[in-house]
Amino acid sequence: MKTSKCNLSIACLISLVAIILALSGQLPGQTGAPKSSGGNRTSATRCSVQVAQVDAGNLDLAYSFQIAIYENLVEELNKTRQFAQVFREGDLKASAIPNVLVLKTTVEKYTPGSETQRAVTTVSGATKLTVRSQLLTREGKVVLEHTVNGDVRFFGSNLRATHNLARNIAKTLKESSWPDFPESTAILSVQP
Amino acid sequence: MNHSVVAPMPRRARPSEPRPVSKLLAVLICCGLAAPAQQITQQENTSPSFSTRATHLLGFANARNNSTGALSVQDDSLQFQQNGKPGAKVKIALVRDVFLGAESKQVGGLPMTLGKTAAPFGGGRVVSLFAHKKYDTLTLEYVDADEGIHGAIFQLTKGQGELVRNELTARGVTISFHQDQLTKESATETRHENK
Repeated sequence: MKTSKCNLSIACLISLVAIILALSGQLPGQTGAPKSSGGNRTSATRCSVQVAQVDAGNLDLAYSFQIAIYENLVEELNKTRQFAQVFREGDLKASAIPNVLVLKTTVEKYTPGSETQRAVTTVSGATKLTVRSQLLTREGKVVLEHTVNGDVRFFGSNLRATHNLARNIAKTLKESSWPDFPESTAILSVQP
Repeated sequence: MNHSVVAPMPRRARPSEPRPVSKLLAVLICCGLAAPAQQITQQENTSPSFSTRATHLLGFANARNNSTGALSVQDDSLQFQQNGKPGAKVKIALVRDVFLGAESKQVGGLPMTLGKTAAPFGGGRVVSLFAHKKYDTLTLEYVDADEGIHGAIFQLTKGQGELVRNELTARGVTISFHQDQLTKESATETRHENK
């Protein structure tokens, strides 16, 4: 009888601790979300963005990488909810909307890596990408320009570098502010 | 001893003609055998002209990223179907370009990676030397109804990528100059692994 009481009290204590931990994790999450969408919210909500295809220039970048950067960019920009709408290159709907910026991405540096080399040596075999991403108006005026890196150093396939790069670009755009262009359309293009 | 003995009915006295129930049963059995045969015939008529196992890495219609399923070329569309889920389709006419590449990847996924990390005396690294496999990557470029450009990447068993590409080109998909990247990537990969 005594042991069952003891067990019950232990169970109650554990559940109490679990509830406290769950609440403590949830509350910062709730408060954190509105904070993260701050910054240049006023100008960003007015604009839409059109993501241009990645320009690899003269670099020997596999086409799968270019497509992966492009697709990941569209996905990451949608996730941030920074822009009213995210359009793909060639999308006819984008031309009918007034405030559209173009995101142009040019690959500047590419270091091909090897997953096997990373797994064996840990310190070498990293896949690295450096791109210059520009936010342009429809008239071609540069609103924002950044150089962003993306790499995979330890775990993951080589294509993981494109995901990291797209996430970094989206993060950079979110943290940046740019002047308000009421008649502009943003287009993001990636060049090598 | 009064035993009442009931004399068994002589066999000859039983009706020799089959009962209506057994007739019905026989007809049902025949129908049951015929029905699957018809289904099989129908399936053969609509069977895909080409199908292979593939891993969808990203970008194809509504398919989940990093999911494995069957990539098939059916009539006028390219379909990717996960097991037991509705397939994602893209019309072949909307595919603008196909690129083939090669990639060497570690096998075993996360469990294997954790196991290799936990192995003592660097045993995991030795395992990594041999635990890799070469795959084909098939990159597609297609447009949606609004002419927005999409890209999709599939990972296939070595040799299968070429077959899918040939199947698509036979149905009118163009291939740009990027097609030679297969040899380039293979060379790069080999160079890295020899270092």
